[in-house]
This record gives sequence, structure tokens and C-alpha cells, in this order.
Amino acid sequence: MRPSDEPGTGRAATAAEAPPVFRLRDVTKRFGGVTAVEGVGFDLRPGEVHALVGENGAGKSTLMKMVHGLYAPDEGTLEVGGEATEFSSPRDAEAAGIAMIPQELDLFPELSVTENLFVGRHRPRTRWGTLDRAAMRGKARERLGSLGVDLDVTASVKGLSAANQQIVAIARALVGEARAVVMDEPTASLTEREVRQLFRIISDLTSGGVGVVYISHRLEEVFTISDRITVLRDGHHITTAPAADLDAEELVRLMVGRPLNELFTRSPHSPGEVALEVRGLGRAGEFEEVDLVVRRSEIVGLSGLVGAGRSEVAQAIFGIRSPESGEIRIDGEVVRIKSPQAAMEKGIFYVPEERRSQGLILPFSIKNNITLSILDRIARFGFVPRTERQTADRFAKGLSIRGGSVSDPVSRLSGGNQQKVVLAKSLAREPSILLLDEPTRGIDVGAKSEIYRLIDDLAKEGKAILLISSELEEVLSMSDRVVVMREGRITGEFGRNEADQERVMTAATGGRDRPAPAGRGEEAPEDE
Amino acid sequence: MSEVQTPTPAQSGANGTVLSRWLVRPEAPALVFLAVLLVAFSLSSDEFLSGSNLESILVSVAVLGTIALAVNQVILCGEIDISTGSMMGLCAVAAGAVATSTGGLILPLLTGVAVGALAGAANGLLVTLGRIPSIIVTLGMLYALRGVILLVTGGTWITGIPDGTRVLGTGSVLGIEYPVFVLLILFVVMEMVSRHSTWGRNVFAVGGNRRASRLAGLPIDRVRFLSFVLVGVFVGIASIIYLGRAGSVQTNTGTGLELQVVAAVVIGGTSISGGRGSTLAALTGAVLIGVILNGLILVGVPGIWQDAVLGALILLAVTTDVLRRRLLGDKS
Repeated sequence: MRPSDEPGTGRAATAAEAPPVFRLRDVTKRFGGVTAVEGVGFDLRPGEVHALVGENGAGKSTLMKMVHGLYAPDEGTLEVGGEATEFSSPRDAEAAGIAMIPQELDLFPELSVTENLFVGRHRPRTRWGTLDRAAMRGKARERLGSLGVDLDVTASVKGLSAANQQIVAIARALVGEARAVVMDEPTASLTEREVRQLFRIISDLTSGGVGVVYISHRLEEVFTISDRITVLRDGHHITTAPAADLDAEELVRLMVGRPLNELFTRSPHSPGEVALEVRGLGRAGEFEEVDLVVRRSEIVGLSGLVGAGRSEVAQAIFGIRSPESGEIRIDGEVVRIKSPQAAMEKGIFYVPEERRSQGLILPFSIKNNITLSILDRIARFGFVPRTERQTADRFAKGLSIRGGSVSDPVSRLSGGNQQKVVLAKSLAREPSILLLDEPTRGIDVGAKSEIYRLIDDLAKEGKAILLISSELEEVLSMSDRVVVMREGRITGEFGRNEADQERVMTAATGGRDRPAPAGRGEEAPEDE
Repeated sequence: MSEVQTPTPAQSGANGTVLSRWLVRPEAPALVFLAVLLVAFSLSSDEFLSGSNLESILVSVAVLGTIALAVNQVILCGEIDISTGSMMGLCAVAAGAVATSTGGLILPLLTGVAVGALAGAANGLLVTLGRIPSIIVTLGMLYALRGVILLVTGGTWITGIPDGTRVLGTGSVLGIEYPVFVLLILFVVMEMVSRHSTWGRNVFAVGGNRRASRLAGLPIDRVRFLSFVLVGVFVGIASIIYLGRAGSVQTNTGTGLELQVVAAVVIGGTSISGGRGSTLAALTGAVLIGVILNGLILVGVPGIWQDAVLGALILLAVTTDVLRRRLLGDKS
């Protein structure tokens, strides 16, 4: 379909002639009727950082899972060290020196650091045949030491910071002769200082000849750390180029496939009266002193890093977590909301970030999902009336849910259409205040664009919308006002005209520890 | 779909869809298996297919089936109830005691239902407000209620249940024996409630994804609480059928019934992890158990084989369910 799928080998001649650690040739992977990756080429050279970028659903993780033996390609081949290879499991891949650090770390939170490092590995034994724990601890310290960190190896992993957990995962992946390490969004939950530490580890690895595949959404980091960049879009290979030949704007255009301003729909709103007001809201360990105002016909973007407490605040407003201090006002009246039911009575609806685990009843039909929250309203004497189907049809049509009739199982729909079902469910309840938590996560560009238009329409209709999003462009393009949280506190608030990437990021990260901007060549900052 | 024999090639597409749609229904394998067994047993025993034998099978599973219809709802919403054996015993003791002093049907029935509902409510409260896993709560209740039976009766039997009370076990209406009649009525009621009531829908939702149900504002505690109370009510009704059929109550009445009930529900095709299943599945499972126990005897298999066969059947049912879902459900 897409012309000129240049395999990722185009510019290889200009760089060192070392054979690639691994190379994927024209690989295709399908899941049922969906083609996740089609005819993609990708190679990794020793000692390079090769960034893999693309929107959610572009096929990055699928591609790397084929390298790591989790999936076998339907078409095309995988070569390791120049020879065609087939991995039947991640164990094979690891034996061949290819390690992967998944986005959701596969650590055992209750076990100690040492035990985590040795899970599934050869454990040293004493001469009695029992585990030699002292030797294990020694090796664990040694390995962490080689990464330049000093951790208590007897501590359980759940007590470690996100960054240290990441390091344990890296140490675990590097057991044996790792020649390639795939890192999937390694910095998603790290602070800027921790990102620097990670970059230092990465540069240690590459100077030892290990190739690193770096999957990330953060373009700044991509330019800071990587030698080459490969862009995927909708499962297709778009380009592979040295990082120095690309700039951020070009990269975004390649990823999205069209200029950003065509993706977002934004018409002028005239915010009205205050619909939702939060004053001094706090809950120990999650957020404190949170002040927030959302007016009718207003989209307020809530930005911040993962773990900044944004979802927690929204969930407190929705009655899932009870706040310990502060107050919530709806239309000027102080309310105490103790359950989602109570929140819905007040006209609030929260659209959760995890579509499959929190938003949908997967065994249900599209219809039953859409009407889930209004059954008690439309029921007569406790029974569901026949008009239910018309209601569901109306919302399915209104949100242009495609891929089946409303009586088909919701599990058959694509991610974007499933997300529309989740939105339809909330809109059926006719809320006046919508709390949207990452409403476009993991869906394709087309569906994204439709959802942006929908959000814009809802604001025009007079709904008050709180838009929680980790995608800066989304927040900046859609919001009338941007509120930024960091470590449970509000750290910035910007009107539509003052909000820009720089200001929002500064507020989100505390303005210190920022990585060097692209092009300054400060790849591995020294650590005192 | 290639295994389908269709009259003309032109129809095969449509028939294939209808068939595959039917095959994904939860109770489909159990119904197929039931049909196979009916054929097999009727070929190897002349008595098996006689009307009176078929009715006696249904009569024999009336208690089991009635309770399974309610426990089905508990399992559908992601919980489990293994206290029904002792609960049935206690309901029978209470109803039997009332019956021997007052006679009649209504008062003993109300007593049995009330005792069952109370026990079910206790289960429901401990599971929802107490946040204790239902398997633990109902295991505790299984022992506790058996203890209450022993304390109340002092170990003696209740005998001499008057005929007026026994009508649900011995009489018949419209040519159908009462136990079968009650079972079928309750089946129809549960089918309606499960398919068309908001509570019935919510049971599937809570079992299918409790977290999403909570975020959608469903009253997940009330939904689960009511399903436990429903079990109590149905156990109460079943205890009157039992009284009628047995004419007496022993201290070990209902022992082992709780697991047979769970087996019936699971064999019928309701998923033990909740969210998937049907009322017909529970009924099918109960009938299947009855057919097997009855058929084995008629074919001359020694009674000592019963448990082994039943156990194998449960494992077979669970395995088929997994295989079938891999073949049909995960296709798209």
C-alpha cells in the first residue's frame, strides 16, 4: 500500500562495516485480520543506539517482540550475527545475547533484588546442593556495581524507586553475554536526574560494543541519545536515518503522517460559569493542596509526568478515592462524593485510562457496554426495556463506531472504536463534567482525530472537560487552559496563549535536571 | 465449519454462521454431550428412554437443579458459594420442625426460605462489607451451619413430616410431578431475570470486569449481596422439595450437595471465573449429572464408579471450555 518501504539498511554503507547484531528483513506480523507490522526492515549495529519511534499502535513493540522470540514473524526473516535464526521463546533470544526490558517491568515485587536477578537464571549452589545465597548476593552487588549503582541487594524490589527498579531490570537483562538490549519506553516513569543516570548506563553499554534499541515517545531524549532513528507508522517502515539528519519537526511529521494542526480540532469556546471547583484537595502520599477550576464549555488540560498524581485527583473527584482534606464544589455547592454512583448523580463522569481493564466489559456486546451506566435510568420495574437498542444505536452512530452492529462483542472492535464505546457509555449518562484520562492512548491516528473532534464538540455544547494527557501536543492543542502537576502538587497553570512546550515541561519536571537539548552533543553527562 | 453437513452448498454459509453462533453459547458443549449420552444410554438400555424414567431423572435432580440455578448467579458475578449443602440441611431442619408442629405447606416453606435467606445474607454481608473471599466465607459457613444443625437437633432425626407439607415432593400438577414443575418454573423465572432485568445484566458485568463495573457506577456490592441471598431463597425452596421426597431430615442431610451444585454449574458451561455463562447452562449441568448417575445404574455400572465418572466429567467440561474458546472465541 505504502510506496517505497525502504528497508532499514539504506545508509549502512556510511557507517562502520561491522555486521549487525541482528537484522529483520521484510517482516510481517498479523493478528487475526489485523496486520500489526508489514514488510518492515530493521537492523542494529554493535555499539549504536538505534531509536525506534512512532505513535502508539505503530508496531514498535510488535517488531521488537519478534526480535525477542515472543512472536514469530509470519513473513520475512530474522538474522542474528548474519545467520537466519528462528527463536521459539525469549529464552532462545536471551541465549543469543538479545535482552529486552519491557515497558511494564517484569520484576517480582515481593522478592529481593538478588532473587530478582537470578529468576530463571543459573543459581550458584553450595556443595550440599542448596542455593549459595552469599555467592548470589556477591554476584548481584558486582553486577549492579558495574552499572555504577549501589543498592541494598537484600531489599525487596517493591520498595525501590522506579529508577532503581529499572536498573535492576537492566542488570537482570544483562546477565550473560548481552549483545543487544531493547528498551521499551524506559524513561516513562523516571525523573530527569534518573534519566541522566540511565543515559550514562546506556553509553557505558554501547562503548562496550552492546547495541541498544531505544523505544521512546520523548523526542528530545531520542535526539540526545540515539545514533540512528527508525520511524514506523501504522505498521509500515517510513524511514531510517542518522539522528543528525533529522529534526524534531520532521520527525513528528514522519510519525504522524500529516502536519499536527490537521490532527486536532479546536474551535473557539467561550467558557462560562464554574462547573467544577477543587480547593486544597489532598490525600496522603498521592496529592496535596490541589486547586483546580473547570468552567462550562472549557477544556482544561492536566499535564505532568506519569505518577504525578493526575489520575488520582480525577479519581478522588469521581468518588473512587476519598480525599483527606480540601473540598469539591459542583456549580458552587460543596459536595461530598463517596462513590462513582454519587459522582454520576452530580453529573460527573470519569473515563479511565485503561480501556480494556477499566473501561469495558469485554465479554459484553457493544450495546451492553454503551448502556451499562444508564440501565437503572431506563429500566422499568427493574427490567431492561426494548428501547435499549435504539439508545445504543443512537450513540454508536453519533460517535461513528465502526466494525460491527451494536449486538456484536465489543472485543472485536479496534482499539480506537473500543475507546469510542467507552466514551459513548459516559455520554449516555449525559454528564455535565467529563474527566478524560488519557482518552487517546494506544489508538490509531484516524480515531484520535475523531476523538479530538468529539471532545471539541462536547466543549462547544457546554460541557466542562478535564483532559488528562501525557502527550504534550495533545494538551497544548486541545486545551483552553493547561494545569501542570508534579509529585502530587499543582506546579503551573497557563492560559491558552502562554502555554508552550518549554513552560509546561519545566513545570512538570521542576525545571531542574533537564537533559541537554538536541544537538549539543552532551551524550553522557558526568556524574560527580 | 467444514464439519457441518448441509443439504445444499448455497446454504452452507448461512448455516455455518448460525451453527458457529450457537456453538459459542456457553451451554453448547454440555447440550451436545447430553444428547450423545441420551442416545448412548437409550441404545444400551431399553428402560432408559421410557417417559417414567426420564421424569424420574428430572425429579432426582430437582433439588440439585434448583440450587444450581441460584449458585449460577453467584458464580456469574465472580464469586462462589460452597455452603449450600449445610444450608439445605438447616433449612430442612427448620422447615421440618415447623411442619411437624403445624403441618401445611406455606408455613414450612416460608420458614425454609427465611432461614436460607438469612444464611445467604450472612454470606453476602461477609463477602461484600467484610471483603473476605467468598470461598473462605462459604467454607466457614458450610461448617458453621452443619454445627448449628447438630446443636439444634441434638443429633436426632426429624421424622413424620405430614403429607400436607410433602406435596411438593410427592404430588403432581398438570401431569407433571411437582419437583419437576417447580424446577422448570424457577428456570423460566431465572432465564427472564438473567436476560432481561438490570440485576441480571449487572451480574454479568460485575463478573466480566469488576473494576470497570465499579467505574461505570454499578452497585457491585448490592449485586453480589443479592446473588447470595437468592441462593438462600432457592435453597429454602429446595429444602421443601427434599422434605417432600425424603419425609424426614437427618443431621447429614445435604452433605456433599454443595460441590455437586458447583459441578453442575461448571459442567453446564458457566465459567468458574465469572462473566460468562447462562441459566440454561446450570440446568443442563444438573440434568447431565442426573442422566449420568441414572444411566450408569441402568447400564449396570457399579455404584462405586459414580464419583470417578463425575470427577472425570468435570475435568472434561473445563478442558472443552478452554479448547472451545481457543478455537472459536479467540479467532478474531
